[in-house]
Amino acid sequence: MIAVYVIVAVVVLAAIWAVLIFNHLVRLGNEAKRGWSNIDVQLKRRSDLIPNLVEAVKGYAAHEREVFEEVTAARTAMQQATGPAQAGEANKQASAALGRLFAVSEAYPQLRASENFQKLQDELTDTEDKIAAARRYYNQTVYQYNSRLQSFPDLIVAKLGGFHEREFFALESLAEGQLPDVDFSGGTASQ
Amino acid sequence: MTLEEQIRSNRIRTGMLVLCFGLVFVAIGTAVQALYGGYALIIIAAIAFAYAIFAWFANGKMIASWTGARPVTKEQYPDLVRAVENASIAAGLEQTPEVRVVDDPCPNAFAAGGSPKTAYVAATTGLLAMMNKRELEAVIAHEIGHVRNRDVRLMSLAAVLVGVIALVADLALRFAFFGGGRRRNGNPILMIIGLAMLILAPIAAFGIQMSLSRRREYLADEASAETTGDPEGLAMALWKLKQDTTELRHANRATAHLYIETPLNNVSGVRSALSGLFDTHPSLDARIESLEKMGGFQLSALTGSQPALS
Repeated sequence: MIAVYVIVAVVVLAAIWAVLIFNHLVRLGNEAKRGWSNIDVQLKRRSDLIPNLVEAVKGYAAHEREVFEEVTAARTAMQQATGPAQAGEANKQASAALGRLFAVSEAYPQLRASENFQKLQDELTDTEDKIAAARRYYNQTVYQYNSRLQSFPDLIVAKLGGFHEREFFALESLAEGQLPDVDFSGGTASQ
Repeated sequence: MTLEEQIRSNRIRTGMLVLCFGLVFVAIGTAVQALYGGYALIIIAAIAFAYAIFAWFANGKMIASWTGARPVTKEQYPDLVRAVENASIAAGLEQTPEVRVVDDPCPNAFAAGGSPKTAYVAATTGLLAMMNKRELEAVIAHEIGHVRNRDVRLMSLAAVLVGVIALVADLALRFAFFGGGRRRNGNPILMIIGLAMLILAPIAAFGIQMSLSRRREYLADEASAETTGDPEGLAMALWKLKQDTTELRHANRATAHLYIETPLNNVSGVRSALSGLFDTHPSLDARIESLEKMGGFQLSALTGSQPALS
């Protein structure tokens, strides 16, 4: 009789423990999803701004066709990208192309003086900053999520619950995806 | 400690703060009762309870009116609002806190309010004038770090509760010395204990306040370095704050611990070793050093070529 109680207790405890892990994984996964949607919003905003910018520059420098084509191609790549890894590549391409477009526009003082151009440039810088900020949060969350999925015992729950690892977005270096939890022990500071 | 543990510890400390506040008021009530008699204890306890409930919900607004922090729009202060937006995204907040500005030439910043949804970030016009984009983002990320770590409710409540303890104890003392007590012929020992309690109450309150703030500053510095990926930017900003000697107009003892840099230490002259005990902030040098260790750089190498601001 005692053996039955022990078995029931072990099963119940194991079930509670699995549910806790499951909930934790769901929460981390949702954080990563939210982090991704922050990036996605800015990527959309960026690709919406690009045609306006190209139009503005065309008005002053119509013959710089090569740069326009490059920017437009990068925008198409951004829109067709599926998943964070591809979107990251396309975004890098877009940054490079936009950098060249802005470099070219340096040669046209009238263009640089136009209010519309300045506003667009300002907006694009802002999206770039926000993508960078969102990227840091997203990659860190994905790192936490993925490492939970790979480690025992969460691994079992992850396999049974159908959790999948998420892709990083535009990882600049391997070290970036491995940002450890901030050490809150205050070990860096004497008090 | 992970972020979750930090948040939990802040919750517990918030509970303890409210409890301590209650105890200090029971002590004040008892003291006043000993001095004057009547229903002082019950009346004071009831007022304190009502005030605590009010403070729980309105601390952000109260602090805004004490410090003169007014809400601003993105059109008015695009760089500041963007810095707050970017820092919130990088910290993973669900929404961008409200942005406020204090018209004051002294550079400083703080965060106040309750949960991340009701908190706000405030910067002085002096800060906006002094910092470049990178430094401003680092300072704002420090404040957003307080929001993310759930420090703001605790720190804001401490500000409004500590302020009122000092005020009430002060009032009661004034009455004890200058006003006519109704029970002049009470028990002298009780009356002495009562007076002692009234004198000790504000000291206890400041003790509560100080126990809250110092470590939190290091943690918010770390949060800033982590979310901007730029500990150098914050170190440069702190260095600039150190050079500055202007004084914050609305500074007072109760809100001192909210700011990124203490608004009260700009008094020139010799500071005794003892004064360190009553600081609400760790020294800027210690914080810069901690950032240097984190980022593996030397601030002197960054600032060496620049003339010191004065």
